[in-house]
Amino acid sequence: MNSLLELKTAMRDERTEVKPAKRLGTNVSFDRDYGDTVGEVTASNARMVCRDVNVFYGPKQAIHGVNLDIGRNEVIALIGPSGCGKSTFIRCLNRMNDTIVGCRVTGSIQLDGQDIYDPQMDVVPLRAQIGMVFQKPNPFPKSIYENVAYGPRIHGLTQNKAELEEVVENSLRRAGLWDEVKDSLDQPGTSLSGGQQQRLCIARTIAVNPEVILMDEPCSALDPIATARIEQLIDELRMQFTIAIVTHSMQQAARVSQRTAYFHLGKLIEVGETAQVFTNPRHQLTEDYITGRFG
Amino acid sequence: MNSASSSRPITPGETLAKVKAGLPRRRAAERRFRAYGLAAIVGGLVVLAILLLDILFKGHSAFWQTRIELDVFVDPAMVAASSDERTRLMEADYSGMIRQGLGKLFPEVTERGRKRSLGALLSGGAPYELRDRVVADPALIGQTIPIWVTASPDVDMFEKGQLGAPDTDSFRLKSDQIEWLARLKQEHRLEKRFNTQFFSAGDSREPEQSGIWGAAVGSFFTLLVTLSLSLPMGIAAAIYLEEFAPRNRWTDVIEVNINNLAAVPSIVFGLLGLAVFINFFQLPRSSPLVGGLVLTLMTLPVIIIAGRSALKAVPPSIREAALGVGASSMQTVLHHVLPLALPGMLTGGIIGMARALGESAPLLMIGMVAFIVDVPGSVMDPATVLPVQIYLWADSPERAFVERTSAAILVLLAFLILMNGLAVYLRRRFERRW
Ligand SMILES: Nc1ncnc2c1ncn2[C@@H]1O[C@H](COP(=O)(O)OP(=O)(O)OP(=O)(O)O)[C@@H](O)[C@H]1O
Ligand SMILES: [Mg+2]
Repeated sequence: MNSLLELKTAMRDERTEVKPAKRLGTNVSFDRDYGDTVGEVTASNARMVCRDVNVFYGPKQAIHGVNLDIGRNEVIALIGPSGCGKSTFIRCLNRMNDTIVGCRVTGSIQLDGQDIYDPQMDVVPLRAQIGMVFQKPNPFPKSIYENVAYGPRIHGLTQNKAELEEVVENSLRRAGLWDEVKDSLDQPGTSLSGGQQQRLCIARTIAVNPEVILMDEPCSALDPIATARIEQLIDELRMQFTIAIVTHSMQQAARVSQRTAYFHLGKLIEVGETAQVFTNPRHQLTEDYITGRFG
Repeated sequence: MNSASSSRPITPGETLAKVKAGLPRRRAAERRFRAYGLAAIVGGLVVLAILLLDILFKGHSAFWQTRIELDVFVDPAMVAASSDERTRLMEADYSGMIRQGLGKLFPEVTERGRKRSLGALLSGGAPYELRDRVVADPALIGQTIPIWVTASPDVDMFEKGQLGAPDTDSFRLKSDQIEWLARLKQEHRLEKRFNTQFFSAGDSREPEQSGIWGAAVGSFFTLLVTLSLSLPMGIAAAIYLEEFAPRNRWTDVIEVNINNLAAVPSIVFGLLGLAVFINFFQLPRSSPLVGGLVLTLMTLPVIIIAGRSALKAVPPSIREAALGVGASSMQTVLHHVLPLALPGMLTGGIIGMARALGESAPLLMIGMVAFIVDVPGSVMDPATVLPVQIYLWADSPERAFVERTSAAILVLLAFLILMNGLAVYLRRRFERRW
């Protein structure tokens, strides 16, 4: 909370005095091999390592040469204006883009040193390991219970019904949905409100116990209380897991993340410690974005 | 445009005034559109109602059959002497017994010509009806039994008022025959009874002995073959093409071909069936097996296309959700996509089946148009199907086949309604929201 306050004052300061365009990238220690990105793209204990990732939708290139590490036990926030490729990039991390016809990914993305785009790679264990919460809530048209129980069931994570029920309850509790649905677990998941559906999807994802969780604007449809609950969950999960979260809310990025990556028109412009990116952005585009001059 | 007009100040109420000015036109357009739609539906319904009423009007009488009650003495002397019990019963002189029974009712008829006219009141099948009674219960031999036998088609038509005017060619009853009929009626020995024969017999040259059951069973076997082949194959092909097949030139070629096959005239499939299944594979002619195979070829493209569009209609977010928690492609399809697509697929399948049920052209090519008296017992037996039966009867000169044609159409329509009802039921049953 303290840091947030600092951040807010800092942001206000920056809004009042418009600084001249600056390009500090050359002064900062960063490896030239990593393209134009400003800041430290590497992480000391990286779980996922992305090098020179390009994504094409047919002839159109949506991601241009992104290099980024995602460290163990860290939350990395991906921010940037709408349409800049945040979703596209995050969906590369568990090969979700495979499902889009005409989508092509080049470069290398490694999880624990293993290339996930290796033809030998099996996407089933990969996606069990790297869970995902989608931008639009997409519960199965089945009961609430079935929605959460599905992942553990297909992966055989529980021995018996009681265990499965426990996993379901636990996941729903952690997603902050339990109290609202505990009496209606057999109701269709699609009958919930948009925000409830999103929390159901979060519960479904964490029920599988993934090691890396990708969240694409998980809170865009949530009220402040549910948002706080999810943010608290992210904080808890960070102890064990690695999380990448796309968000349009700078406050949220500042509250939950340790590192922040700023995307612009398919390029990774700047990445760094969250506090540093928000209080002292090194790239003009980043500064313009977080001070609200566009985006 | 110059800047003056684009930055024209907006006077309050201007938008509302313009909207209101245009409103009558919009409303009128809407009313017109609704009227067109309503007219189309009403017109369609009226034509349908006329069609149905006409068929019902013509066909309902076939469900009733004029019968005459005789007291027949099953004369042991007329039962053939044979060591074998069955041939003995089968070859007894039942026509003689029937003649005697009829003679007893009209003792005054002695002259030969008039006796023949008297016998002509009864169907040629009457002795067989007696035979079936006796074979079922040999203890009747030596007894006098009351039995209702079928009247001849002319009598039946006369009783139903369909024989035309007394001075026309088609009116083949003589005045004394009409007298006898009146007497029989008075004695309550002539009645229109429910025509069980129609629902239990196969085809016959004699209208009063013909029934729809043979064709219905033929249709059933044919559709059984079609359903059990085309539905699994069609659904599997649709799933493979839609969910698993790579998108390349080959799958494009396959897709184009499937679409074209759906538009091929059905008789072409009949020719194909004749060439492949009968001439090459030597499968039995006129059999429901070959008919079913031909109709499978015909309905398969329809089922594949319906199945693919049902799969396409499943929102991709459902697939993503399943893949996102680590389901394999197969699990995604079986657990999530297929249950959502199934109602659409089944509807497509049943529409295909309904089309197959009403199809006659390709079946003519493979010999299912033959005159077949026996009710088929398996898919290998020669058979005909409902629409072909209708075609055959419609082609028959006998007057009594007219009502039977309409009645057969009613039976076919009942089948179709049943199948469509099933489609609606399945849709409701499996439909899920998302
Ligand atoms: N399935 C697709 N086919 C073709 N182009 C796509 C597809 N999905 C995204 N794009 C394009 O890729 C670019 C990046 O889209 P993306 O969804 O990654 O943006 P985003 O940063 O997530 O935006 P938002 O914040 O609005 O969610 C956009 O220009 C978009 O038009
Ligand atoms: Mg997005």
